[in-house]
Amino acid sequence: MSKPAKSQWDFGELFPPEQARKVLSVWELTSDIKRLLEKQIGSVWVGGEITNLRAQSSGHVYFTLKDVAAQLSCVLFRGTAAAQRELLADGQKVLLQGEVTVYEARGQYQLIVRAVEVQGIGALQAAFDKLKAKLAAEGLFAPERKRSLPRFPQQIGLVTSPTGAAIRDVLHVIRRRNPALEIVLAPCRVQGDGAAREIAEAIRRLNEFNSGSSRGDVAQTSKPETGESRRTSAATAKLDLILITRGGGSLEDLWAFNEEPVARAIFESALPVVSAVGHEIDFTIADFVADVRAATPSAAAEIITEDVFASREFVADAMALMRLQVQRRLTNETEDFQSLAGRLARLHPRRRLNDSLQRLDDLQSGLMRSLKSATRSRTLVFESLAGRILRVKPLLALKTRREAVRQLERRLNLLGPEQVLARGYSITTDAATGQVLREAAKVSAGQALKTRLANGEIFSRAEK
Amino acid sequence: MSKPAKAGDTAKGSLPFEEAVNKLEGIVEAMEADDLPLETLLARYEEGARLVKICQEKLAEAEVKIQQLEKNAAGELKLKPLDLPEEA
Repeated sequence: MSKPAKSQWDFGELFPPEQARKVLSVWELTSDIKRLLEKQIGSVWVGGEITNLRAQSSGHVYFTLKDVAAQLSCVLFRGTAAAQRELLADGQKVLLQGEVTVYEARGQYQLIVRAVEVQGIGALQAAFDKLKAKLAAEGLFAPERKRSLPRFPQQIGLVTSPTGAAIRDVLHVIRRRNPALEIVLAPCRVQGDGAAREIAEAIRRLNEFNSGSSRGDVAQTSKPETGESRRTSAATAKLDLILITRGGGSLEDLWAFNEEPVARAIFESALPVVSAVGHEIDFTIADFVADVRAATPSAAAEIITEDVFASREFVADAMALMRLQVQRRLTNETEDFQSLAGRLARLHPRRRLNDSLQRLDDLQSGLMRSLKSATRSRTLVFESLAGRILRVKPLLALKTRREAVRQLERRLNLLGPEQVLARGYSITTDAATGQVLREAAKVSAGQALKTRLANGEIFSRAEK
Repeated sequence: MSKPAKAGDTAKGSLPFEEAVNKLEGIVEAMEADDLPLETLLARYEEGARLVKICQEKLAEAEVKIQQLEKNAAGELKLKPLDLPEEA
């Protein structure tokens, strides 16, 4: 323990000598505080509501325990039973048992949690559930009143803080995906007291701007005559939609978006509303009332620019798509043309003439062939005849014929009168007429007769 | 109240982006349908190329415009330019 210091009211010496001061290093002082806290307070039970819960990759879980008046940093080390850790949740009311200590490196006191006991639903969560049930009963979340967003928004209203992370994320996505989009920012605070009122007012301000009329309408839009303004606006709309957004944070940070004035303003908005509050896991009342809920500010910007972005890609591809069609067609037409040209060539007169000429050639050569073969066969016949002629011997034939004549002569001689005469017969004829005499009565006396004998003739006269 | 400048479209008298894209979609679909006479196909191609040019110009001309809407003490709405630090 350090020695008691001199009282500050002791003005004995205005500048005490150096060695008289007790100077502590930061670490020494912090260690003293730590020892003091650990000794004086030590192990305690403390009740409150969990908020700002952060599970680190190291396995330690950090959170803040709070009540209406104060906050306490808490840490649950990795070694603590999993069952205890699972009880922790933002908004959860709990009783914690642990030791108060000091984290010297940051000079922060904190509770090292050993045990967790759940104490019913957190007050904020209860308020959330109560408002949600009430608005649901009134039909603020009804799916049938959700409006679809215009496909190609040109100008949008933006409700957020000009200095937050959300506007940066939103602009980043919009610059990349649809830089033609125009933005009208209705700046407002997005957390803390009065934020809900500002958000609601910003939504109304944008609607008023959109309706394009002067101050007369301000009263109207602030009145809850929702049905009227909802219908009349579309025709003259300058804004296509409103985006209400905020980056991630604790349940308290996001709380403004769970308050009734915001819900009412969204419900009354003539323009479609996109709500993107916190991270994926965070659902706010604003999300439920809005026409479209996006998980994050970036996701909201992507939804809003979706169709323009898709169109950009389509436009970028369109030339290639069209070229492909034209090319395909030209290829087809060329093929068709070539096939037609081929058919036409086959029908061309010259082609037919050529065909005829060829046929003529064929016939001609055929003719020559048959002519030659005909000549050859005739020659053969001739040669065979000539051979046969040469084989025939004319003299021999003559002799044969002569012999035959002689034979015939002989056979004729046999039949002739000479043979009869030779056997002693004779032939008497009228010497004057040469007629052969066959009846004696026809011979008259004194008639000259000629009788032919085998050798010689006798001339005589008939006597009686 | 001053009208917010709707850049491009009406001033240039050309087709709004949405219409141009819709027309282009129609043209590409028709070309893909494959029953167009060759002359029509080529005419569609030329028209499509023109629309692509229009769309690309519309996309290219833009730099995100952001204005701030405020209400003055008299309750009048005022648009004023908002300069946000560009992203690094």
